[in-house]
Amino acid sequence: MTYEARIEQIIERAPDTRSLFLHRPPSPPFTFIPGQFISCLLPLDGEPAIRPYSIASSPEEPGLLEICLNLVPGGLGSRYLFGLGIGAVLRFTGPWGTFTLERPPAAECVFIAEGTGIVPIRSMLRRALQTGSTYPLRLHHAAASAACLLYANEFKRAAREHAQFTFAPLLGGSLAGCIRREYLARDTDRSRHFYICGVGSIVLELRDLLRRGGYQRRAVQYEKW
Amino acid sequence: MARLRVLFESGAPEQIVEFDPAKAPFQHDGKPDSVLDVLLGHGVHLEHACGGNCACTTCHVIVKSGEQHLSEAEENELDLLDKAPGLTPTSRLGCQAVIEDDCEISVLIPRFTINAA
Repeated sequence: MTYEARIEQIIERAPDTRSLFLHRPPSPPFTFIPGQFISCLLPLDGEPAIRPYSIASSPEEPGLLEICLNLVPGGLGSRYLFGLGIGAVLRFTGPWGTFTLERPPAAECVFIAEGTGIVPIRSMLRRALQTGSTYPLRLHHAAASAACLLYANEFKRAAREHAQFTFAPLLGGSLAGCIRREYLARDTDRSRHFYICGVGSIVLELRDLLRRGGYQRRAVQYEKW
Repeated sequence: MARLRVLFESGAPEQIVEFDPAKAPFQHDGKPDSVLDVLLGHGVHLEHACGGNCACTTCHVIVKSGEQHLSEAEENELDLLDKAPGLTPTSRLGCQAVIEDDCEISVLIPRFTINAA
């Protein structure tokens, strides 16, 4: 099933990073699970090319579907999308992906995002906070600078409103070092669930760190772009 | 030269792709010389919703013969295959299974790709 959706709104989130808000296809209704992505069909070099983009919004939000992307140096897909304005139409398939959080957390959950890896995690966190679960929820977001901490104000507000939620941004430090210290060295509790998303080898490094450190394989979910 | 025989669970006629592994990549998606790379580069469609980045299971194929000529599956491929519908002992992700030799391999493309995989 291929959908067509109009870009209704564009928001600059950070330098070279923007959100595109698509009119959410009503018929047939486009539904998804927090964490999933859509697969955009972009006319690059005269042929449709596939580019996946995680959904930043929540399934519960009516009307608009948000994707958030950064301008990748040399990336044809992001350059094309950055050239689109309000009213342009995107074709896409989906939803796709198994890096998801659908049900209320059944354990303490640790969300770890590197850069734009925060996008699917934002959707998952919104669901986790809405479920009423009282398990601790912690978010570690590593970014190059404060300006690159996407959705930071929203997470700060959520931390004030939800006692079980902790927002721990990380600017410039070692993400692996932070995770080792917090979840391996500090205690012997290995009941936590982890959701890791980012670009490149750091995701696999964190996966291996946690699994070799005693966490169950399925307790460490990840998506590497 | 290598041969990749493709069977379709849908009943579509089988296709045979002959290719020179040294000439990979044949297009942009998936690992060079992967089943996905070879098929797309020779006009045979295989779903790949994540663009061949090992982030979904839509390029799931079932290897019918020649699996010893494919690269060993890495942990992220195995983690994803765990979630593939219709998983079999010889299931692979087309974007990750690299054809390593001049050889003949047969793969079956399953009928269904669920819309959450």
